[in-house]
Amino acid sequence: MTDATSTRIRPVTKKPVDYWRWSGRVFLVLLLIFTAMPMAWMLITSLKTGFAAMQYPPQWWPASPTLENYARLLDPRNSIGQDFLRYFWNSLWVSTATTILAIIVAVPAAYAFSRFRFPGRTFLFFSVLLRNMFPAIVFLVPLFILMRLLGLVNTHGSLILTYLTFGLPLAIWLLKGFYDNIPIQLEQAARIDGATRFQAFLYIVMPLSTPGIIATAIYSFIGAWNEYIYAYTFLTKHDQMTLPVGIQRFFSENATDWPGLMAATFMMSVPVVVLFLVLQKYFVQALTEGAVKH
Amino acid sequence: MAEVVLEHVMKNYGSLYAVNDVSFTVNDGEFVALVGPSGCGKTTTLNLIAGLLPISGGDIAIGNRVVNDLDPKDRDIAMVFQNYALYPNKTVFSNLAFPLQMRKLPKAEIASKVAEAARILDITHLLERKPRELSGGQQQRVALGRALVRDPLVFLMDEPLSNLDAKLRVQMRSEIKRFHHNLGATIIYVTHDQLEAVTMADKMAVMNGGFLQQYDTPAQVFANPVNMFVASFVGSPAMSLISLQAVSRGTEVVLQSAEGWELPLSPANARKALSSTTKNVVLGARHSTLKLHKMQVSGSVPGKIYTVEPTGDVTFAQVFIAEAVVNISVDPSVHLSPDEPVWIEFDQERVHLFDAETTSALTVR
Repeated sequence: MTDATSTRIRPVTKKPVDYWRWSGRVFLVLLLIFTAMPMAWMLITSLKTGFAAMQYPPQWWPASPTLENYARLLDPRNSIGQDFLRYFWNSLWVSTATTILAIIVAVPAAYAFSRFRFPGRTFLFFSVLLRNMFPAIVFLVPLFILMRLLGLVNTHGSLILTYLTFGLPLAIWLLKGFYDNIPIQLEQAARIDGATRFQAFLYIVMPLSTPGIIATAIYSFIGAWNEYIYAYTFLTKHDQMTLPVGIQRFFSENATDWPGLMAATFMMSVPVVVLFLVLQKYFVQALTEGAVKH
Repeated sequence: MAEVVLEHVMKNYGSLYAVNDVSFTVNDGEFVALVGPSGCGKTTTLNLIAGLLPISGGDIAIGNRVVNDLDPKDRDIAMVFQNYALYPNKTVFSNLAFPLQMRKLPKAEIASKVAEAARILDITHLLERKPRELSGGQQQRVALGRALVRDPLVFLMDEPLSNLDAKLRVQMRSEIKRFHHNLGATIIYVTHDQLEAVTMADKMAVMNGGFLQQYDTPAQVFANPVNMFVASFVGSPAMSLISLQAVSRGTEVVLQSAEGWELPLSPANARKALSSTTKNVVLGARHSTLKLHKMQVSGSVPGKIYTVEPTGDVTFAQVFIAEAVVNISVDPSVHLSPDEPVWIEFDQERVHLFDAETTSALTVR
């Protein structure tokens, strides 16, 4: 007892500088700057006039900040606003449809992989991953030919279908891990308590897997929202383009309107950021699920 | 409440038989313990009765109705799981109400039944809490409450006490026993702890390797184990088993050890020993039936002290006899030290004889 208190009172001899700790901190700060700077610069530039954006040396802070670029993008009365809002709507529709379909398919699939033993289970489980073992570009031409055969070129259906081939395997794997962590006794208890297998799933398993489903949905949504190369290849009509492709037009037709481009890019990142902020709690919970024993 | 009948029940996974030709009847209102070591098929048997696993052969009847192909929900049973399996996202009230909601009872009736169950188990003050906010003992009560709220035909319990600490386990043991007494419920209770089975159950079904070894009252299983497995599984410390050879000496029969000593058998035991398929016979004796002497007396056999375990009111001596370790309980005042030579006297009325080849108990025919 006396030992413990005396060591606590005695002034601590100066600790040697922990170089590892400090180099780690410096590294993290550099990394933070590296990721945050482009975003900050994007936001700053989007608030400048076209002239101010091209100045050299650059204006670190816009001399006369303006929201004009945003107003232009969101104004359906001019052609740029019309285009932007159309692309935004297209992206939202494609991403949301992809996400909903991915969840509708992945939830029962992951549950089946987690709970049932059936012939070919392991083979099937690994074959859903096969698609993700190759770079996306490899499938560009085959999928294009397939979409042409299906008559889906220049439709949003082609994109939704393609994005599902990316998103589904990941969604199934993520969700399976989640279902694996829900004790099977809970369902057994529910079935003894008078629930059918489906009711046990609906009333007991589903509420418990909500965080996993939300995390999976975010993954699918972001994947579809950001995708560029397939959208660029499959869609040629202006009125169907999604945001990543559509934003490109700021380079060519508008002689690279930097503030406009930056404003559009910023707008594009808004849904993802909002999704993340609102659902962050579930997301972290899902990724750390099973890491510690409850 | 109802009786439960198992007839030639089988469960196999390919060539592996988890439950092999098990038959027994649980009478209305009886408390039956399914007991055995890990992997003996006791939990599988319980899951077959619950309908959580499909049976591969035989019949299971609950209350005169064959339930082989019925879903768990249609069998009118309740089950308490080892890990309690409380619904973590529901409050205690909702956990208790769930079985009633599934049966579409009116809200007012659900509320009154939940209140009644909570009162019986003294968990009324916990109704608004979530399971994770409860202690192990409280979770256990809620699990029991969820089972009894519905008044089912049979209660199934799968090692309900094994997650509790030792003190709480003893307390809950008597509470479950009381619960059985008050409700007159039919209970099938799985445990690996033979002490739980002996202390709580009206009858115990001892299982090993998927086979039912013996089904009888704890007293009978304790007094007349049918084979060496049951003899060594039930009782603590376990029955000591000594491998010997039966040899005829004129009119009497003696058991001969490899070391050379001989133990003359009483006429009844002699007839048992002679019914063995070979000369190899295993002598079994419980610690309390043996007498330990520091000097040779007539009819005693020599041994050597291995260890001494004082427990307070009784001291257990482990003695080497004919290459077997034999447990003997002695008075704590007796001083013994390791490697000390001692002599052991057997009570001919209370020894057990087993056929070393078949492991079955030898009986007089």
